[in-house]
Amino acid sequence: MTRQFPQKCNDIATRAEEFKMEDVSLVASDTEDVTSRILCREKQMAMLYSLMGEPSQPTCPSVFIYGHGATGKTLVVSTLLKAASLPHAFVNCIECQTSRQLLDSILDQVANHKPHPENNYSSLNRCENMNTFVRLLKKTIEERGIENQTVYIVLDKAERLRNMDGNLLPAFLNLSQLSGCNVCVFLLSQIVWEKFLFGFGSNHFEPFIIHFPDYTKSELLEIIASDCPKGYSAEFYSSYVNLLMSIFYMVCRDLNEIRHLAQLNFPKYVEPITKGEASEKDSHKLWRHIEPHLKKALQTVYLREVTSEQWEKYQRDEISQTGQSSILPSSSRTQIELPFYSKYLLIAAYLASYNPARYDRRFFSKNSGKVKKSAVNRKKETSHQLLGPRAFPLDRLMAIFYSIVDSRVAPTANIFSQISSLVTLQLLAQVGHEDQLDTPKYKCTVSLEFIRSIARTVSFDVIRYLYDFVK
Amino acid sequence: TPRKDIVPHITERRTPCKTPAKVLEHARARLHVSAVPDSLPCREHEFDDIYTFVRSKILDGTGGCMYISGVPGTGKTATVTEVMSFLRKEVEEDEDFPEFTLVEINGMKLTEPHQAFVQILKNLTGQKATAEHASQLLEKYFTSAAGRKQPIVLLVDELDLLWTRKQGVLYSIFDWPSRPKARLIVLAIANTMDLPERIMMNRISSRLGLTRMTFQPYTFKQLQSIVQSRLEGLQAFEPDAIQLAARKVAAVSGDARRALDICRRATELAETTKPTGKSKGPLVGMKHVDAALTEMFSSPKIVAMRQASRHEQIFLRAIATEFKMSGLEEGSFEKVLIQHISICRLEGLHPPVVSEVAAVCSRLASCRLILLESGTNELKQRIRLNVSQDDVTYALRDHSE
Repeated sequence: MTRQFPQKCNDIATRAEEFKMEDVSLVASDTEDVTSRILCREKQMAMLYSLMGEPSQPTCPSVFIYGHGATGKTLVVSTLLKAASLPHAFVNCIECQTSRQLLDSILDQVANHKPHPENNYSSLNRCENMNTFVRLLKKTIEERGIENQTVYIVLDKAERLRNMDGNLLPAFLNLSQLSGCNVCVFLLSQIVWEKFLFGFGSNHFEPFIIHFPDYTKSELLEIIASDCPKGYSAEFYSSYVNLLMSIFYMVCRDLNEIRHLAQLNFPKYVEPITKGEASEKDSHKLWRHIEPHLKKALQTVYLREVTSEQWEKYQRDEISQTGQSSILPSSSRTQIELPFYSKYLLIAAYLASYNPARYDRRFFSKNSGKVKKSAVNRKKETSHQLLGPRAFPLDRLMAIFYSIVDSRVAPTANIFSQISSLVTLQLLAQVGHEDQLDTPKYKCTVSLEFIRSIARTVSFDVIRYLYDFVK
Repeated sequence: TPRKDIVPHITERRTPCKTPAKVLEHARARLHVSAVPDSLPCREHEFDDIYTFVRSKILDGTGGCMYISGVPGTGKTATVTEVMSFLRKEVEEDEDFPEFTLVEINGMKLTEPHQAFVQILKNLTGQKATAEHASQLLEKYFTSAAGRKQPIVLLVDELDLLWTRKQGVLYSIFDWPSRPKARLIVLAIANTMDLPERIMMNRISSRLGLTRMTFQPYTFKQLQSIVQSRLEGLQAFEPDAIQLAARKVAAVSGDARRALDICRRATELAETTKPTGKSKGPLVGMKHVDAALTEMFSSPKIVAMRQASRHEQIFLRAIATEFKMSGLEEGSFEKVLIQHISICRLEGLHPPVVSEVAAVCSRLASCRLILLESGTNELKQRIRLNVSQDDVTYALRDHSE
């Protein structure tokens, strides 16, 4: 059933370590510049090279490559295949809703067929299932005359395969055996192999597993510093990246993100130099200039509250205006214009969600009676703010609503339709859909900040009515 | 088109079948399930019942239904087929006996219950139609007797597979015989006795009528005589050996096919063993039958557990320990993992990492020694044993000694 190659795997791994660079340099010269272009992935590339071998040699039926986002999985595999101009198909599984799209596009790429206007964007074959795919793959390979070469099929975001037809993933793992051709399937994913394993049985070939580890700090530095902008020395740029990393490395190790931030904030960094206030040597001055700026960026640009475009614009005309607050972060723009009674309904819903029902009398009854001083020996309760909102019936909402609204409000259709429109605005959520009319239950799904700002507009003190804050 | 090469087919036979030369080869050929004898022993009574039923209906020119049930391997289909061939012979010999048409359908051979109409119509008239159209044509065919003189015998095998939500197919099949001009006799065969009560609507089971017949499982004496009748004139078996096979099979299921299979396997075993000096010929003895029986009846799970790798065995033990500790018949993967690691520590093995244990778990699940719930909630995955805990301890204790 399961065939594993522990012996062979160890073999390859040790060989790859031994040779490392030599192995890479052995391969044809046109791939040399590729290896120099991809930084800090020498070991993985050497391992892939030794696995792939010569085009005519049989390879491992499937290779599973995993690692976090932005660790160069796709880059390494696609450049390797392109540089050596090996016959291959590269498919992103997210793009394929159905298995037919996936299989069709693989066959098209293996046959070097591109959908374009002249052929009406049609693919070469109609391939509905794995059975046809295996048959057509063999035919396609024979027609192109590449029987004695390894054909590579790369499936990016392979975790999507688990949700497609059940036989798809096992068949891809066994493809070279099923088709009888020299096919190697690369699976690229961010999740580990065990999560694939539990989905189906183990009647398949175990793939060879390669891990792409995260870049270390120095590796990140090396990679980002390699795209130094013109007109500045490499040392200057790498010292800038170093400063940037000291702020961002704690929260973010994603290469793409840091690279983006480096690009975005560089004009600000060199501003003193362009103005003539400092030179490239004054690193201390530059640091003092950039540090508050970067910290601000951490709270705004990194969280995408301010778009990159806004940030760049702000940097450009900051000279004229000073206030950083001129940009409104999107989270503080949570003001929604609501009708008067809707505001009260929402406040009532919030109070009903976060107050225990047994204290309603104490808060809302006109003659609230004596509150016993039992607060001392009350048990330590978990804050209701932490537990999240609870469901409440409509009756309780209306009772609280009438007690917090000072004027007399008739329970018109208008009021009730406002409740249901709050549900459509997703400020309230209906819980349990069994009876829509009889006794609907709701939950309030807005934050404390939001409700406080709403309450401020109608000058109502919410905090005074919240159990958690009063006790 | 390349469609042809995806249609599966059996490779053609190059060399002709061997004609049996030795005694044991003869015996094997006769014991094969496909070698149905001309007359079935031990089913004379049932034969008579069915025969008189069909014969009287044909002679009267009326229609009717008969429901035949019994566990697999009790000779239902063979008996009915024998009745039909007997009647066919009677038509040829007896001038007065009216001709009849025989239509056979098998629920298992149909892709979809409504295809039954298509099959029946094709067998009756040679006409091809869609299922809906065929049902209309058959309706007309059975209501009017225009241009038709022969009575029809409809033989429906594997009746339970013709069940649909609306039960239209079953209703039609049992409704046609009650038409005045239909002259249709339906013989329905299924495995369960209470099928009409369980799955059919009242209006169908009432049309089915009360003519029912149950084929009892064979007793050991009947099984013995079946095997003996097949081996008539051949000196291949010790009589005790046949009796042993018959008794074992009768105790479990009373399935004649199973008894024949065991005897066949025993002859194969006897052939491979070298004949000892004093016995005159290769005779199938008790020990061969016993070996064949253990081969067929013994559970492969214990063997699988004994042959499993060390960590797989430790994992099974970890499950058993976890069940013993919690008192439940179900445990989560993380709990079993903790047990697994502690067992490894006790045994002085290097404790494995989670992914290795996950691979062990999925391997055991794929050979069905343990059951996993579907879904991919890794550590919270619920695990159950597919064998009894005693089997696990038995298999693993034995092995470690």
